[in-house]
Amino acid sequence: MIKFIFTGLLRDKSRSLLPILVIMIGVFLTVGMTGYIRGFIEDFVDQNARLQTGHVNVVTKAYAQNESLMPIDLALLGIDTLMKKLETDFPGYTWSPRINFGGMLDVPDESGESKKQGPVMGMAVDLLSGKTDEINRLNLHTALAEGHIPEASGEVIIGEELARKLDLHPGDKVTFIGSTMEGSLTFRNFTVSGTIRYGVRQMDNVIMLLDLKDAQALLDMENGATQILGYSKQGVYFDEEAARTRDAFNKKYAGSGDQFIPVMRSLSDEPTLGYYLTYINSFSGLMIFILIVIMSIVLWNAGLLGGLRRYNEFGIRLAMGEEKGHVYKMLLYEALFTGIIGSVFGTLLGVALTLFLQYKGIDISGMVQGGAMIMPNIIRAKFSPDLLSVGFIPGVAAMVIGTMLSGIAIFKRETAKLIKELEI
Amino acid sequence: MNEKIIIIENLVKRYPMGETEFTALKNINLTFDKGEFAGFVGPSGSGKTTILNILGSLDTPTEGKVVVEGEDVSNLSEKASALLRKEHIGFIFQSFNLLPVYTVFENVELSLLLLKKSAAEREKAVTAALEWVGLQDMARKKPPQLSGGESQRVAIARAIVKRPNIVLADEPTANLDAENAHIIMQTMQKLNEELKTTFIFATHDEKVMQYLKRKIHLQDGRVSKDETMETKTLQL
Ligand SMILES: Nc1ncnc2c1ncn2[C@@H]1O[C@H](COP(=O)(O)OP(=O)(O)OP(=O)(O)O)[C@@H](O)[C@H]1O
Ligand SMILES: [Mg+2]
Repeated sequence: MIKFIFTGLLRDKSRSLLPILVIMIGVFLTVGMTGYIRGFIEDFVDQNARLQTGHVNVVTKAYAQNESLMPIDLALLGIDTLMKKLETDFPGYTWSPRINFGGMLDVPDESGESKKQGPVMGMAVDLLSGKTDEINRLNLHTALAEGHIPEASGEVIIGEELARKLDLHPGDKVTFIGSTMEGSLTFRNFTVSGTIRYGVRQMDNVIMLLDLKDAQALLDMENGATQILGYSKQGVYFDEEAARTRDAFNKKYAGSGDQFIPVMRSLSDEPTLGYYLTYINSFSGLMIFILIVIMSIVLWNAGLLGGLRRYNEFGIRLAMGEEKGHVYKMLLYEALFTGIIGSVFGTLLGVALTLFLQYKGIDISGMVQGGAMIMPNIIRAKFSPDLLSVGFIPGVAAMVIGTMLSGIAIFKRETAKLIKELEI
Repeated sequence: MNEKIIIIENLVKRYPMGETEFTALKNINLTFDKGEFAGFVGPSGSGKTTILNILGSLDTPTEGKVVVEGEDVSNLSEKASALLRKEHIGFIFQSFNLLPVYTVFENVELSLLLLKKSAAEREKAVTAALEWVGLQDMARKKPPQLSGGESQRVAIARAIVKRPNIVLADEPTANLDAENAHIIMQTMQKLNEELKTTFIFATHDEKVMQYLKRKIHLQDGRVSKDETMETKTLQL
């Protein structure tokens, strides 16, 4: 009997083709879009984690409350001890101290007079200890536009746009002017070893990257850091995992009312970032839901039309003694079959698109101009195995639900009424 | 041969018509013996299709009792009435109602599939049924390629392939020309004689009537005359 049904399905192209096409397109869109959004989220999260937040980060309670002011006076001190504790308590993470600080960059002319000046954002990371991951983490080799990565104390690397504005080139001397942790004036000469380009304006326009030890000396904050960033050794950010780590840490250090107790935050605790993530996730969920609803409605109607065309067939089968329930069941098998075929093709196409966009990427720099977020300029889609099911299951479900709805309209009626309507 | 294959007692069928009701069959009492070649005749609207559908358990009586093959169809479940149709009743309709995407063979085979017969049994029975109606060479054709007469012969093969005890035929010749109508009737007459299948027709076609051995006249939902013809077999 099943063979009989499938024979009909294969021969009657108008019965199979439209639903397959509808499902294929729907599944294709779902898979492609999900892959793209995934890629976007992952790039977005990854870049923010690398440049700014880590997967988790530790700061003082006071620093957390005033973060936007970059208050180095509220920095963590005695970080050697804290680092050791973190390494023993959370071995799944690599820990990196950093110092973010603001100041001014002064470019002297030959006679030592100030030629040009501009604000900078200092970002001190471990560049010179010899056992650092930070160079790779910040993709410095790739981001390097000119010159070389600092190899000795006293060398800094600056954002390409900043270099252009201040007319700086590798080898030039600059003076940093700012204030120490205690608030007294500090300045020091550095050599520009090179320039970097991330394609992110917040970095390229203002950043000055230097070694942690140089910054500690400059800012008079020995053994201190504004934050310690933690990176999962799995390399990928998992929100739940990060939240667990955060809670475990904070539970251990809570209690003392000290302003300077360390607190841990996860990447998604960063308010704008967290907002974006929630927004994107619910947006993509909603899009998929809408697609399924639309597909179901289209297939429901296609099922009704198809059902009308096949009224005679149903009538004959009923007259021959097939039970209504069985006819209905066979109809659902048909739907399952068409649903699977459509979903397979849709998924394949969607995955193909995802892989293409993963390789190719779409330049969205035009769209993110003026944004305050660190956002990658080129978005690549991201394939993950769950893309195989994200469209597949809704595709099959939409076909089966559509058929169930259209079938009910036919099979809730009494056999006698049906036979009359069939005019057989 | 006096086995009662159908017993109808005080059958009444009423259809709701808005506020009131319309009585399509009024107190019918009839019996059919196994192997009859009978028909309901009468003007349009007299209730022929209605009573045939009740006999085929496609519809239910409002009042009275209708026993088909020992089953009281007045209160059969959906499942039981489907089973009765599947095992014992073949239908032939006015518009042949073959399924266009299937071959002649597959159209005839369908009722055997429902009966879960093996492939070998099906092959044998379908071939035999097609031979009966003289269409053994058309097995691989599809219905749209057939003439009206051929189509109705396929429909006959489909109705008899499972060797039902009863075949119900509602206006089987309405869409056929005179020559084909005769061929169809003779085919069924032959089946009736050789297989002892009970045939019950609903018709107002004179060509059909002349083959009937029993004519039950319906008039406004009542049996106005029940005449048994002297046994004669028409030969061409
Ligand atoms: N579902 C229904 N609801 C209301 N009235 C109905 C219904 N079905 C049939 N009737 C009425 O019952 C009467 C008998 O109908 P039936 O179809 O049995 O006639 P018939 O003898 O087969 O006529 P025809 O020769 O035109 O096929 C008709 O008057 C018809 O209008
Ligand atoms: Mg009729």
